[in-house]
Amino acid sequence: MTSPFEPHDVTWNRVSPRLVTARLVPGTITLGIPLIAGVVLAITVGPWFWILAGVPAVFLVWSIFLVPRQVRAIGYAERDDDLLIRKGVMFRSMVVVPYGRMQYVDVEAGPLDRKLGLAKVQLHTASVGTDAQIPGLPPDEAARLRDRLASRGEARLAGL
Amino acid sequence: MSTPEHNVEQRAQPDAEELVWRRVHPITPLVRGWAVVGAAIVILGQQSLDGGPRGGLIALVSSEYWWTLLAALAAVALVGWGYSTLAWRMTTFAIGEETVHLRRGILFRQQRHARLDRLQSVDIRQPLVARFFGLCELTLETAGGTDSGVAIGFLKGSDADELRAELLARAAGLKVGRANPAAARPLAPSDAVTAPAGRVPAGERDGAAQDGVVPDGEQGAGTAQPAPMTSLEAPQVPVLTVPIGRLIASVVRSGAMITLVAWAVAVLVAVIVTGQFAVLTATLPAVLGAGGYLFGRLTGEFDFRVAISPDGVRLRHGMLETRSQTIPPGRVQAVRLVQSVLWRDRDWWRVQVNVAGYGGASEEKNSVLLPVGTREEALTVLSLVLPDLGVDEPRRVLDAGLDGDSRTESTYVNAPRRTRILDPVAWRRNGFTVTGRALLLRRGRLVKILDVVPHERTQSLGLSQGPWQRRLGVASFQVHSTEGPVRPEVPHLDAADAARLMGEQAMRARTARAAAGPERWMERQGE
Repeated sequence: MTSPFEPHDVTWNRVSPRLVTARLVPGTITLGIPLIAGVVLAITVGPWFWILAGVPAVFLVWSIFLVPRQVRAIGYAERDDDLLIRKGVMFRSMVVVPYGRMQYVDVEAGPLDRKLGLAKVQLHTASVGTDAQIPGLPPDEAARLRDRLASRGEARLAGL
Repeated sequence: MSTPEHNVEQRAQPDAEELVWRRVHPITPLVRGWAVVGAAIVILGQQSLDGGPRGGLIALVSSEYWWTLLAALAAVALVGWGYSTLAWRMTTFAIGEETVHLRRGILFRQQRHARLDRLQSVDIRQPLVARFFGLCELTLETAGGTDSGVAIGFLKGSDADELRAELLARAAGLKVGRANPAAARPLAPSDAVTAPAGRVPAGERDGAAQDGVVPDGEQGAGTAQPAPMTSLEAPQVPVLTVPIGRLIASVVRSGAMITLVAWAVAVLVAVIVTGQFAVLTATLPAVLGAGGYLFGRLTGEFDFRVAISPDGVRLRHGMLETRSQTIPPGRVQAVRLVQSVLWRDRDWWRVQVNVAGYGGASEEKNSVLLPVGTREEALTVLSLVLPDLGVDEPRRVLDAGLDGDSRTESTYVNAPRRTRILDPVAWRRNGFTVTGRALLLRRGRLVKILDVVPHERTQSLGLSQGPWQRRLGVASFQVHSTEGPVRPEVPHLDAADAARLMGEQAMRARTARAAAGPERWMERQGE
């Protein structure tokens, strides 16, 4: 069966694998604190606290399993007139943004992203429904993409 | 303070253009200040309902200090009116060659420039209090999202009409003679209203516009009033009105009313069974909320009139607050025809639109093109905003979209039979068809929905697929339109159909945009 998420004339660009770290670190911290607290309490107070430790542990294992797959599933492709972005492992989605519809482009990088050398490029159209963001790009690539999108958008400038 | 963005730019004075700054009507502070007094009375009312340790407001009124209440109200009113007066003094506006300028704000000065070629709609609003004074507020929507519009108010009714006509004429690309006194130069023939010949079907417009040229002798008066330009007003042809009886019946049969009645019955049963009246008071806010929504819909859509003019669709409606909207051609981003379950035997439809600038839920009441109408009326209204669907038999295609399903013979591509497990009720309805000018998406069986998106108004396209859909080899397709009530999508299409639609629609949108008319709609045939 052909997947609608694999158009035949498209070669997908992957995002940086460092995005796995960027996504796992905050998750590990938020899940790790109750996990450690649960373990400590289970040892010092009583065995019932293993439940408290177990729930975050399950989520942690699940996210370690899932996040690398999610990151590998993120892809983007520049075609002549539009940009394709896809994501998702279980719940997959793809969006096609024509350059001429682009209103502005955002490039963002948080402190952890900067440390890892990552940036996020987000495209905005006149629609709030357009969820077109590419996380985990190296800063050079992000800047190149931004400039390229901006120049292409200008060349195909239209109203709404 | 709101920050203008996108199309509404903040800039210094544009050079080479002399602007005449005008004030809004001097009664404005009185009208605006009234809102403060109203709010104070509401707060006081709530206080008296709640009561206090010493009996609250009711005790105060019956005591010998009752006058303090009046004094407090008077003080609130004075502060409100004083503030409004100050705000009025600081608010000025000017109409430039291509932009509208508005300055306002007391401490934080704000200067807003809106480009007229990006104008999305012009609305004239008349709240109840303003109506006593014959005043109106004019709102010019640009596509910058919520709160990006330029609201000029309040103006005398006739001034607002003139201003609207001038703004629309300028936005349409007509050259309007600078008829304001401060432009002390003589009115050269080239400055007069000149329109490219044969640009609109409405023949009178040219003649009418030519009459709008103000003779030189009438200029030069010292007042800041604009010279009369009423004849710039594009002639409008009434299309239809919604009878009040039908509006009431439609609200009674609406989904919200069904929910309200079901809720009321449930509460009543609960009260009888438990014998506790506390249930009643606990659910009262929800009931009041639903009742308020229905009341707002009734009054807001009261006396709904649709008319067409060369400047686009004109809507006029409202009981307590009247609203007169003008949506120029090509500003409608998407149209939805929807029929709730109890409207079916009358074959009534409601028509909603997305217009950039009308924004989200808070302004949803602006996005109604027809509150309720027969199928004929709904399709007439649709043809006003999308005159050409690009098919030979538009009526057949639309009828199939409105209540056809996979069993009826039509050009629609339907969701496959295997999706009935995902959508047991409406799977036969899910489908789409493509015409030369627009994409039509139909869905829903109890609440029937047909979305029409002109190809050139497509912002971006989306495809999504959950695990169950993947197993069945289907995917859901979305068209991203500007913010508004219409969110066009069709669920559970065959994966191959969805992929093909996605690819082809991107191309169609591109070619349609290349062929689309200019932002200034009167220049269409002049170029």
